[in-house]
Amino acid sequence: MRRERRPHLLRGLALTLAGLLVVAVVSACSSAVGEANGGGSASGPSEGGVLRVGAGSDLIPASVFTNSSDVANTLVGTVYESLVDYPTDSLEPQPRLATSWQQSDDGLSLTLQLRDDVTFHSGRDLTSEDVEFSIRTWADPAWTVQLQRTAAAITGFDTSDPHAITLTFAHPLSNVFDLLDMLPIIDSESIDQLREGTAYVGTGPFVFESWTPSSKVVLTRNEDYWGEQPLLDGVEIDVVTDPQAQASQLRSGQLDVALGLTDRDRESFEKDDAYSVTEFKGAENAIYLGADLANPDLREVKLRQAIAYALDRQRIVDEVFRGAGTPANLPWPESSPAYDARANQTYAYDAAKAEELVSQLGDQPTLPLAYPAGNGNFEAVAQVVQANLEAVGIETKLEPQEYSQFIKQLIGGTFGGLWILEHSYAQYTPSTLTVSAYPFNADKNASHFSSPAYQKHADGAWQRDSGTDRGAVRIYRQLNQDLLDNLFLIEIAVTPPRVATTAKVHDIGLSKRNELDLGRAYLAD
Amino acid sequence: MSESLIDVAAPEGAAPRPDDEPDQRRRPGARSALRRGKGLAGVLLIGVVVALGLLAPLLAPYGPTEQIPGANLVGPSGAHWLGTDEVNRDVYSRTLYGIRTDLVVVFLAVPIGAVIGILVGLVSSWWTFTDVIAQRVFDLVLAFPTLILAIALTAFVGPGLRTVFFVIIAVELPVFGRLTRTSVRTVREMPYVEAAHVVGAGSWWQLRRHVLPNSWEPLLVQLAVSMSVAVFIEGAMSFLGLGVRPPHPSLGSLIRDGVRNMYDAPFFAVGPLALVVALVLGLLLVSQALAEARRS
Repeated sequence: MRRERRPHLLRGLALTLAGLLVVAVVSACSSAVGEANGGGSASGPSEGGVLRVGAGSDLIPASVFTNSSDVANTLVGTVYESLVDYPTDSLEPQPRLATSWQQSDDGLSLTLQLRDDVTFHSGRDLTSEDVEFSIRTWADPAWTVQLQRTAAAITGFDTSDPHAITLTFAHPLSNVFDLLDMLPIIDSESIDQLREGTAYVGTGPFVFESWTPSSKVVLTRNEDYWGEQPLLDGVEIDVVTDPQAQASQLRSGQLDVALGLTDRDRESFEKDDAYSVTEFKGAENAIYLGADLANPDLREVKLRQAIAYALDRQRIVDEVFRGAGTPANLPWPESSPAYDARANQTYAYDAAKAEELVSQLGDQPTLPLAYPAGNGNFEAVAQVVQANLEAVGIETKLEPQEYSQFIKQLIGGTFGGLWILEHSYAQYTPSTLTVSAYPFNADKNASHFSSPAYQKHADGAWQRDSGTDRGAVRIYRQLNQDLLDNLFLIEIAVTPPRVATTAKVHDIGLSKRNELDLGRAYLAD
Repeated sequence: MSESLIDVAAPEGAAPRPDDEPDQRRRPGARSALRRGKGLAGVLLIGVVVALGLLAPLLAPYGPTEQIPGANLVGPSGAHWLGTDEVNRDVYSRTLYGIRTDLVVVFLAVPIGAVIGILVGLVSSWWTFTDVIAQRVFDLVLAFPTLILAIALTAFVGPGLRTVFFVIIAVELPVFGRLTRTSVRTVREMPYVEAAHVVGAGSWWQLRRHVLPNSWEPLLVQLAVSMSVAVFIEGAMSFLGLGVRPPHPSLGSLIRDGVRNMYDAPFFAVGPLALVVALVLGLLLVSQALAEARRS
C-alpha cells in the first residue's frame, strides 16, 4: 500500500511545487514587464514619458492670456505659476508662489510674502518686481486680458523687499484673489519673445521648448523646479482642430489626452475600458446665447424674453451634452455665492409663452446666429436653438465661423446678431464675471449692453472687500435680476469640463482656471 | 451666292445647311452609346439618383430639417430606415433632400462654368490678344488645387452653397476654355472652314456654324466628367465645413455627419455614400460611353 501511495504523494508534491514555480515565474515576468513599461498604476506613480495632449485651438501669442485657446490654457497652466491657487471646490486661496498674505482692515492694500527659492526657467531669481511687472502687463489694455480692470485697479506696488510685495488698490477689490489665482507670473526680460511666440519663460513645472504654429507646442520637465518634480519627461500639445480627428488620434494612440472632443465622443470613450473620461467640478463652463443689441431687431426685450422661453435647455443637456450639465437661466454653478435656484428657473421652457410674445411683436426679420465652426457640440446646439426659435416664429440663419475669428468678434463685439459660445469665470467670485468677462463686462461687453443699474451693481459687488458675505450676496441678487430682466445673454446650461484620456494616463488635474494640471500626472500601462 | 458656296465647301454633316440642325450624322452615335453597355448603366444610375431627389417630397417621411421629438440617435428601423441624427432628424429623409442640393450643383453650376468656359475658349482661340490674356488667367486658376481654391474663396465669401457654385464655376471654366480652344484650333484648319473664310464669312458666323458644332463631342464628354468632379467638390467642401450650411442637407454634409458618428452609428453615412458613388459612377460611365462612341 505504502509503495503504491508514495509515488502519488511525490507526484502531487512535485506538481504543487511546479505550480508554485510557474506562478512565481509568471508574477516575476509580469513585474519585470511592468517595470519595463514604467511601472503599473498598482505599484504607484512612475517617472518618464511624454504626454501628448490634443488641443482644439492653436496659440495666438497676442492672446496668450485671454483664456480662449486650449493650447494657451495648457501652456499657461504648465509653464507659469500664480501667486495663489484656489482649490477647485472653494474660493479660499492657497499658497503657491506667495507663502502668506495680509490684507489691510480697510481692504485697500494687500501684502504678500513670496517664496525665496523660486527661479525662472532662464535661471533668474523670482522677485517682487516680477510680480509688479506681471500685474502691470495684465493691466495693459493691449493684451486684452479679461481681468484687465481688476489689474488696473491695483495702483501701488511696494517692492522694496525682493521677497514681499505690498499692493495698493484704488478701491477694495472683492475679487483680488481671483486675479492672483489667474495671473501668471511672467519674466520681464523675455516679454518681447513672448509677444512673438518664441519664448515663454515662467517658473512652472514644465519649460517651454518650441511652438510650431498650427502644429504643436513642446514642453520639457523643469529640472530645477522649486516644488515636487513632475513625473513626466515632457508634454507635447498637438493642435488638432477637428474634434473627430482628435477622437481618432486618441483611439489610435497618437494622443494620450483629448481636450476638444464632443460630448458624443466622450460618451463613447466612457464606455470603453481602454479610456477614461474625468469630469472636473469647480471649473464649470456655461453655454449661452448672446444677443448683440447693436442689431436693432434685438433691442426689443420682449423678443429676447421670447427667445429665453423658447429654448428647450433640458433637451440640449440631454441630447447634446449627453446629460453632463444643468439647464440654466443664470451663469452661476451651484457652488457660486450668486447661485439662486429659484431665479435659475425664471425662463423655464415655455413655447406657448414665447409664441405669444412673438405674436405681440409682429413679424420678425431673420436673425443671424453665429457659432464656432467645426465643433460638433456648438453645431448641434445651434441647430436645436434654430429649431426651437423657428417653432415660435423666430427665423434664424446659421453662420458657422472659424474659431479665432469668432473670438476676435467676441472681443471686438462685432457679431451683429445672435451667437452661441461657452464662457467660464462664473466659478470665481461673481464680480469677476460682471467686471471682467467679455460677454458680461458691465463696462464694455460683446452685446453692446449698458445700463446704469447693471453697472452700479457690478461695481458694487466688485468694490468691496468680501465677495462672499451677506452684503455681497444681496448685490448678487440684484445682479441676477439685471441679467434676467435684460437678457443680453441668454444662458442655456452650465456644464462641467470633461477630459478624455487613454487608460495609461493617471493623476491629471484641472485647475479652477480650466488649465490642465500635470504636476503629478504620469503614464503607466 | 456665298451661302451656296459655303454649303458646297463644307463637308456633309460638318457644315450643315443653314436651316438644318448641325452635325446630324454623329448624333445617333452619341444616343446609341447611351442605350447600351456602359452608357445605359450610367444613365440608369443617374436616373435612379435624380428620380430619388426629384421625388423626395413624396418619398421622404419627414422634412429635411424636421427635428423629431424623442428620436435622438435612433438606429435603423421601420420608422427611420437610416436612423436619426444627433438633433433628431430622419437621416433617410435628409439623404433624399440632400440629393437635390447636389443635383442643383451638378446640373446648374457645371453647365454655367462650361458655357462661360466655351465662350472664353471660342473668343480666345480666334484672336491672339484675347488668347494670351485668357490663357494666363486659366494658368492662374489651374495653379491652385481645387480645395485650396475653395478655402481661399470661402475666406472671401464665407461658406455656403453659393461658394460651392463659385468654386465649381471657377474650376470648370478653364477646363472647358482650354478644351474649346484646342478643338477650335484643330477645326479651323479644316478646308471647309478655310473655304467659308475665303468666301467672306464673318468670324462669329464661322464659329457658330462650323467650328462649335464640330467641337461639340469632346465638350460633351468633358461635361459628364466635370459633373462627376462637381459631386466630389461639393462633397469635399461640405465635408470640410466650407459648403452647404447647416441645417440644410447635401450629400457631402451628410457624409461629414456620418463620419462624426462613425464609431457608434456607422449606418449614418451609408445612404449618402451609396448615392455619391452611384452619381459619380453613373456620370463617369456616361462620359466613357460618349468618349468611346466618339473614338469609334
